[in-house]
This record gives sequence, C-alpha cells and structure tokens, in this order.
Amino acid sequence: MVGELAVMMLTWEYPPRIIGGISPHVYYLSKSLVRSGLKVYVVTCDFPGAAQHEVIDEVEVFRIDSYKNPSPDFATWVYLMNINMQKEAAAIVKNIGGRIDVFHAHDWLVANAGIGLKHVFRKPLLTTIHSTEIGRRNGIHFDYERMIHETEAWLTYEAWRVICCSAYMVSHVRWAFGLPEDKLVMVPNGVDFEAYAKVKNDDLSSFRSKFALPEEKIVLFVGRLVYEKGVHVLVSSVPKVLGKVDAKFVIVGNGYMKEQLLNIVKSMGVANKVMFTGFVDDETLRKLQSCADVSVVPSLFEPFGIVALEAMAAKSPVVVSDTGGLSEIVEHDVTGVKVYPENPDSLAWGITKVLLDESYANWIRSNAYKKIQEKYNWGKIAQQTQNVYEAILKEYSKTTWA
Amino acid sequence: MMQAIIFSWEYPPRIVGHLADYVKELATQLVKNKVKVHVVTYHDYLTGTYEEPEGITTHRVTNPVRTHIGVLTWVLTLNQEVERIASNIYYETDRQVNLIDVHDWHFIPAAVTLKKAFGLPFIYSVESLEEHRCHGANTPFNMAIKSIEWLGMYEAQRLIVKSEWMRDEVFRLYKVPLEKIKVIPAKSASWIKSILAIYQIVGGGKVV
Repeated sequence: MVGELAVMMLTWEYPPRIIGGISPHVYYLSKSLVRSGLKVYVVTCDFPGAAQHEVIDEVEVFRIDSYKNPSPDFATWVYLMNINMQKEAAAIVKNIGGRIDVFHAHDWLVANAGIGLKHVFRKPLLTTIHSTEIGRRNGIHFDYERMIHETEAWLTYEAWRVICCSAYMVSHVRWAFGLPEDKLVMVPNGVDFEAYAKVKNDDLSSFRSKFALPEEKIVLFVGRLVYEKGVHVLVSSVPKVLGKVDAKFVIVGNGYMKEQLLNIVKSMGVANKVMFTGFVDDETLRKLQSCADVSVVPSLFEPFGIVALEAMAAKSPVVVSDTGGLSEIVEHDVTGVKVYPENPDSLAWGITKVLLDESYANWIRSNAYKKIQEKYNWGKIAQQTQNVYEAILKEYSKTTWA
Repeated sequence: MMQAIIFSWEYPPRIVGHLADYVKELATQLVKNKVKVHVVTYHDYLTGTYEEPEGITTHRVTNPVRTHIGVLTWVLTLNQEVERIASNIYYETDRQVNLIDVHDWHFIPAAVTLKKAFGLPFIYSVESLEEHRCHGANTPFNMAIKSIEWLGMYEAQRLIVKSEWMRDEVFRLYKVPLEKIKVIPAKSASWIKSILAIYQIVGGGKVV
C-alpha cells in the first residue's frame, strides 16, 4: 500500500439506481470512507440519464453496461452483467496503475466480478453479505435457488472477511455457509439522521392532510410488498386496530403482493382506511416518516431492518416483529415495541399501545433517537469498516501475493 | 521462447466433440516448434496441474458452483477459475506469457478480462458458432451466447477459422473485418506453420 488506502466497491445498485438497501448502504459507506481519507472507486450498473463516469461527494463512480438484451432469467442476467463489470473494472484498475488495495463486493450479485478481480490483480477481496437466498426463500427448494446459494457460498469462501450488519446475520451466514467464526465481522448498517433533521416541520400539517384526516392517526409501512416483509400481517391487523382507535394505514412501496393486498382490504371493508402510495421519492418518504404516529416493520425475515432505523431518525415510534436484525435494533419498551412475527393480534396490540399512550410513545421515540446517534452513524461505521480493511492488509502483507 | 495459454472447455481425456483432439494436436505441435504451452481446461475431478509426456502443461479446473440451470450459467461461473489459473501462470512465469488462444465461446469472458488487466492479446479460434448449433434460434439463451461470441470477435487480435465457409459466416453474422480473420484448414500441409505465423503477429516476435 502506497499513500492513501484505495478501495474498489462492486455493487449492482448505486444512486440513482435504487432497487433495495444496497444502493443507499454503498452510497453512505463510500462517502463516509472518503471523509476519513480513503480513496473510493464504485463500479456499478448503468442507469438511464446517469453518467458513465462521475465524481459524487469525492467518490469516483463508474457505471458499466449492464447487459440489456433479454435474459433467460434473473440469475443468468446477473452472471452476464458480471462479465461486463469484471472487464470494465479490470480496465479501470489497469488505468490507475493497479493502485487498488481492497476489492469490496456487495452480495452475490457481483460475486463473479469480485472473485475474478481478486485473482487477476492478486489483491484481497472482502464481501458484505446483506441477505441470503436461503433466508429470502425460507429454505432452498429448487436448483435455481441452490445455484444462487452456492454462488453466495463461493463468494464467502473467496473473501478474506465477511461483513454482516447484525449479530443475527453473522450467525445466520455462519450457519448457511459453514464459515469459521474469525472470518465474520459485524458492522452495523447506518442511517443518515442529518437528512431527517433537515425535514421542515412547519409545512408538515398540510402535507399530512394529503394522507389522513386530522382525527386519524397515521400507521406507516415502508417496504417492498412481498411475503417476507410481512405486509399481509399488517393488513390482517387493520380491523383489530380500528376497533380501538381511528387510524389511517399508509403503505409505501410496490411488489408482487399488491393486487392481493388491495383485494383483502376491499373485502374487509376498510378500503377507506388503507392507502397504497406505491414508490415515493426520498423527500416525501422522510416527511411521511416524520408525521407517522407509528411506524410498523412486521417482517418475517429481516437481515437488518434499515427502515426501523429511518423511522427512529424521523422520531417516529416503531413497532417491529421480534425477528432477525430488528430484534437487535429495538429494545422492547425502551426504544420501541416488539411483537410476535406473523401474528396480527400481537401486531395490533403493539400499534394500539403506541397510539393510545402518548407519553409512552414519546418515551420510546426519544430513547430511540439517542440510540441511533450513538450506534448507527455513518462516521463510526466507516471507521469500523476501515479497521477491517487494515486488518486484512496487515495479513496480506505477509503473503506471497504482497 | 514464446509462451501461450490455450483455453478450451474440452481436452483429452474429456472429449465432447471434435475440439478436444484438435486442441491436443495443436498443443503437441506447438511444443515441437518451441512454444511453451499451458492448456487451461475443465475436468470434474482430474483437477490440478500436470506435465504431459509431450511437454504440455495442463491445468484442469472444476466449477465452484455445483448446481446449475443450464450450460450458460455453468460456463459463466467457471470463467473465474480459468482466470485464477491463467493469472497464476502469468505471475509465476514472471509475466512472460505472450498470448492466449481461446477455442470457442466458453472462456471468452476470462480472455477479455485478462486482456484488459494485463494488456495480454488473444486469438479467438472458432470451431463452431451458436447460430449454426441452435439452427438460427434467437431465444434470450441463444442471444446471450451470441453476445459472448461477439465480444470475443470484437476484442480478439485475430480470429482463426478452419474453412472459407466459416470465414464468410463470421463476416456475415458479426461483421468482423476480413483482414482480422485467418483461414487455416486443420488438415492442410502448412497448418502449424500458418498458426505459428499468427502467433507471431499477435504475441510479438518471440517465436524461435
């Protein structure tokens, strides 16, 4: 290593391309690492209107041709996209005279490129496993899923260290791929609470009126409308909550369950109490989170639960299912309310408790806000990540590759 | 002494079609003509590095991902192992490799990455094309293989084809400039001489 530590991030999504949580994660991590004096290159998929090469917050971003022919299936597209990512990243590394110290790959979606680059340039590879196929699908049932599972295993095998963002994910990944304990590191995910501090409170009441009547409390769900997010559990709890308190359920996000959920809501006769907004922009989302009387995260599988942190940053009280990363983020009765997963009665109880007891809501709201500033700020997370890089490079310096 | 790495997805004792024996004969003749040859190929369990009596070094890799939904995903996860071995050869020979000779589409992605990373040129030796194998079908699966063939033709320094018909097909389907394509029939008297001449053009003036 000569001069500043240089990292190349490989990620299939980076703003403005946003599909899930990896995009904001890599964005904030890269930006914070640059602030601590590292050099960061991001290689990611292209996006309509976004430049092929640009510098954002001093992070050098390269967008590659992400293979736009029709593909037989998603996994095959991933492998085909990796051909391009790998060859273009190789050209970038050669252009800068090989001055990359670590390749950092985010999830199996960039496994091939990361593994190839490691061997070609003989530099250490590090991976962050954000989620697993076996967790997403609640088991491995088909060859297609097994292929992805084995690709994830291959990535963790080739990586010098595997970062997971919760203690739950550390033990899950260790179990899923049979990894030795000293290969795993826990570095939490972060939240940009400064962005929430900028939300103007003065115009919130007129903004709020677009979603709910003044007498209705707002119950907010943010997430993809897919099975693992448990949004169907929330929908089942709607009549139980409405029996106790007048509320409007605002559901933000899209997914394959949308039609089905709309039908359930209609058949229960509560269509006027549930609003599906679809995907919303960042500013609208932050405002919604800031005026929500309670934010609900009813996931069945949740590696981390960033949306709970965002709600806490917006000073909205949270009700989460006691599972995965959510169990660690929330301390029951202190920073939020934990309920039984996949249990509409338990969820309704949690929501009602927060909505009916204002002093309780304020207590968990302020505790949660303090907690996220201590534990989930990006400066601290960047420092922890840098420590991992440095530990790897120290080991690397003693190998024949150095 | 010139050093070449040959990529082929089939090689004796693993024989799928015509290619295995052809590549073996090519490697044998190259060695006789003082070219140091490393063959990188696939085998399920005969993996590792072997020196053959003919003086050819073979490196056999297996797929780190065991479960697949088709030949395409199988090939695409095998490429990183090919890259790993080729990189090891490159570093262990103190970067003295002159070129890579890739037979058919399978390991084109690896050859392209190595070219970008090391500035190492490659020859694309065409045995057959997806257009003919799939009888003109154009499903997303066929399209993906064709796009890899296109990438190989675009990035290769030279193409070697085995007949004039194939040269015309390559030109018709992929619009490769004709001066980039060399026809070298496998049974011709000047076969290995013609191949050595292309190796010299692509790999530099190091052929003895």
